[in-house]
Amino acid sequence: MTRLPSGPPAGVLSPGVISQDRAHHGYGRAMFDDPSFRRGLRDTILIFFAVAAFGVAYGVLALDVGLPPWLTLFSSVIIVSGAAQFAMVGLLAAGPVPVLVAATGLGLRHLPMSATLARLVGAQPLATRLRLAFVLVDETFGLTVRAANAGVENLVAYKTAADLMLYSGWFLGTGIGVWFGTAINPESAGVGVLFGLLFLGLAAPMVNGRRDWIVVGASVAATLIATLILPPAWQVTVAATTASLVGIAVGE
Amino acid sequence: MNDLTLILAVAAITYLTRVAFLIRPRQVPGGALGRFLDVFPLALFMAIATVGLATPEGTPAVTPGLAAALGGVIGGVLFRRSLVGILAVGAATFYLVRALVGG
Repeated sequence: MTRLPSGPPAGVLSPGVISQDRAHHGYGRAMFDDPSFRRGLRDTILIFFAVAAFGVAYGVLALDVGLPPWLTLFSSVIIVSGAAQFAMVGLLAAGPVPVLVAATGLGLRHLPMSATLARLVGAQPLATRLRLAFVLVDETFGLTVRAANAGVENLVAYKTAADLMLYSGWFLGTGIGVWFGTAINPESAGVGVLFGLLFLGLAAPMVNGRRDWIVVGASVAATLIATLILPPAWQVTVAATTASLVGIAVGE
Repeated sequence: MNDLTLILAVAAITYLTRVAFLIRPRQVPGGALGRFLDVFPLALFMAIATVGLATPEGTPAVTPGLAAALGGVIGGVLFRRSLVGILAVGAATFYLVRALVGG
């Protein structure tokens, strides 16, 4: 596996990290001219459309289970998690406890992502870290890890661009789903398969050694087993955690 | 609990898990947890890919999604693991197989 770049020691800024001075003095405007920001926009064009398609599906499903249009849109504005939101509408009829358990189970996978992202971006102002966390989803995380491995200079600008694309795609898709309702069926277009391919594409550059291949095999096997014995909310988290433990046990 | 409260609770849980290590970045762990973090993204992405490609109805099934996975792997080999190559060859294989055999 291509190793994740280690973040700088506490209080030390690496060349790839936005300087504190720029962060505090008008960096927001300069960010749009940053090559890393523009690269982030380019890299997320495909994801924008894929996420928008899923947003449409979410909007349609949320209306179908009785969520009012404004709450459907509000949930996409404030949660920004396809997995959590699909789980929420899927379990809405079962009551709040299953929904909250599912959200927690799905959220567990964010913990290592959060730690990895903190290591990648290094020292940053609190406001920047809080903002980066808001759209810390599988897609933007995967792209940011990929960008780090590819040597992208400013990961904060890169992820900000990816976040903006994903957030706008998700909200726009939800809006379209709410607007057109059940007249649209994104699943019939194979959107689920395209999303699977997207994650296959994100994983591919990370496979570089024997341990990585074992993790891949363990993850696929654990996921297939998990789909047979676990509720949907826990399948991905349990399978990924199991495969990671297998990878640790195997060693380098 | 009404729907609005539930949405706010889900949002809070989701955000707290996302910000957990970013809010205090100097406490990012090393050791065993650090090694776990090294392999977890790959395991996670493969798990999500497997769900999307091999279990379209929630359980393992032989569908055009498996052909898409094979196409994606071929695309990865042909285009040096390029994301676009994997998506393009995988999607083309999926739509071709679905047109031929249905599903």
